[in-house]
Amino acid sequence: MELAVQLIVYGILMGLVFSLIALGLSLIFGVMNIVNFAHGEFMMVGMYIAYLLSTFLPLDPLLSLPFAAGAGYLLGVVSYRLLIHHILRGPMVAQLFGTFGLMLFLRYLAMYIFTPDVRSVKQGILVGKTLSMGWINVDASKVFSAGVCVLAFAAVYWMIYRTKLGRALRATSIDSEAAKYMGIDTKGMNALAWGIGGATVALAGALLAHFYYVTPTVGMLFTLIAFATVALGGFGSIVGAFIAGVLIGLIMVVSGQFVSELKFSFIYIVYFLVVVFRPRGLFGW
Amino acid sequence: MRQLFIDIFFFGDRPHFERIGFLIFIIIVLVFPWMVTSAYGRAVMIKFLLFALFGLGWNLIGGYGGQVDLGQAKNVGFGAYATALMMVWWKTPFWITVIPGIVIAAAESFAVAYPMFRLKGHYFAIATLCVALVWKELFIFWDWTGGARGVEIPIRSGADFVYMQFNSPIYYHYFILFLFLLQFFFVNWFRKSKLGYEVQAVRDNEDAAASLGINVYRTKVINYTIAGGLGALGGSFMAVYYLYIDPDAVMPLDLSILIAMTVMVGGAGSIWGPIIGAAILIPLDMYLGAWLGAQKRLGIDFMIYAMIMMVIAAKEPKGVWGIIERVRKKGAR
Repeated sequence: MELAVQLIVYGILMGLVFSLIALGLSLIFGVMNIVNFAHGEFMMVGMYIAYLLSTFLPLDPLLSLPFAAGAGYLLGVVSYRLLIHHILRGPMVAQLFGTFGLMLFLRYLAMYIFTPDVRSVKQGILVGKTLSMGWINVDASKVFSAGVCVLAFAAVYWMIYRTKLGRALRATSIDSEAAKYMGIDTKGMNALAWGIGGATVALAGALLAHFYYVTPTVGMLFTLIAFATVALGGFGSIVGAFIAGVLIGLIMVVSGQFVSELKFSFIYIVYFLVVVFRPRGLFGW
Repeated sequence: MRQLFIDIFFFGDRPHFERIGFLIFIIIVLVFPWMVTSAYGRAVMIKFLLFALFGLGWNLIGGYGGQVDLGQAKNVGFGAYATALMMVWWKTPFWITVIPGIVIAAAESFAVAYPMFRLKGHYFAIATLCVALVWKELFIFWDWTGGARGVEIPIRSGADFVYMQFNSPIYYHYFILFLFLLQFFFVNWFRKSKLGYEVQAVRDNEDAAASLGINVYRTKVINYTIAGGLGALGGSFMAVYYLYIDPDAVMPLDLSILIAMTVMVGGAGSIWGPIIGAAILIPLDMYLGAWLGAQKRLGIDFMIYAMIMMVIAAKEPKGVWGIIERVRKKGAR
């Protein structure tokens, strides 16, 4: 019983981080129908920023969050302007290989700069601390990360559904041509989607760096987790990504408890089953 | 019978200069081991032929079929493991182990193709990637496959044409060249066969193909099955060439990507594409990797790869072959 509750709590906390990771992927797909294979690598950039700032500057990793988000935003916008914009009109194969190339480039750039060594954030207010609530013990950093993820998610949700900018973004996502005729800067909206996507996922990376090791190759796994999450929630659905993230977190933690070597396989299988049997996911249209 | 022979060995539908180019290519690879004596140069050539062979197989599904498959490494793994495990367990001769390798890869491809071809585009690509990764995790997890430790094939002395183990790379060169040509002529037949034309029609316009009475779904499934079987052939070669295999060597994601990339760079949907792509990427990989590795500069070779990939995707989705075709058409006008 204790174990079960502990697992569920842990799964939900991990899941909330997955939700934030998946948010950007879902948003980008919703606005311009392109899947970003480099998504996990954007997250890795956030992780390295947290690592660098906390190791080489006397800065708590918590303070690196805004820097990571900012860097992620820039990375997203620059990727859009330099690459994605050019491959958007191409055939699907070209789109796929374009973002795949971006993924390889970022991964091996990190490999070049940081070497393949496994690193971790060692200092920080929250690193290594445990919170005890009754007989449940959880890492303080995980609770905090989950909280920040929920806040960030709410902020993006508010921006998309309650502001004029968000309305323009949604209009672009529904019909880009028509939106253009209405005077919406669709290119700007695309860039904005990439910027938000990059910022949220890099923020998630900086949070994740508190309790997850940092290597140049960490991104692929999280890209796939994000794919599974977004597929489960429904491509393009923001609310779906949130709920699916929690579900995926639970699946990973619970299955990892029983067959730890195959815990990622379960996530891939979830993706496979969802897209085959319910392609629009839980909340897609 | 005569028609079949022509379909397999002739390129009557291709322009003159392509046929001459192919002849020159064959002559070069035939005399290569006698011209280049350095072991490294020969190893590069063998790897080039191996990846050209992988590319030919992938070209079926990715080029002619237009379905981006990012999981070809799983088929390579099936071939490699079938050969290695049968040799270790029952001392089966190489040529017999090839068959179960191909059959298993084709059967698995067939089984997953059924649900998978309900998907299109990105969904399909990610699904292939997921399937391949699940297989890799399973091969690491299972004990009977040797797990993460891998499988070692017992070494034999001298030249052995039953187990295909040789001391000299010259033998391996002609061995892989033989397999390559086998696959090359098969693909040459395939692209002109009824199924080949159906596959290309489905790629170009699914609705139009369906309206002509082509069973789109069935065509895709059969095409994927054949491409899977072809992938296993190269895997079997890898097992006897390296004599040691583990899931990280024969079924990683990087291998799937490299195979797909070879074809994309060379030109998807052209019979020459995989050869051109492998001729560009493999020497680049081997020489750049060796040179940069010596300088402890990890990753630059892949960064160059990635840049090639992005430029190709943005500027010339048809690859190098697309550029050649365009230049030629301009010249003809």
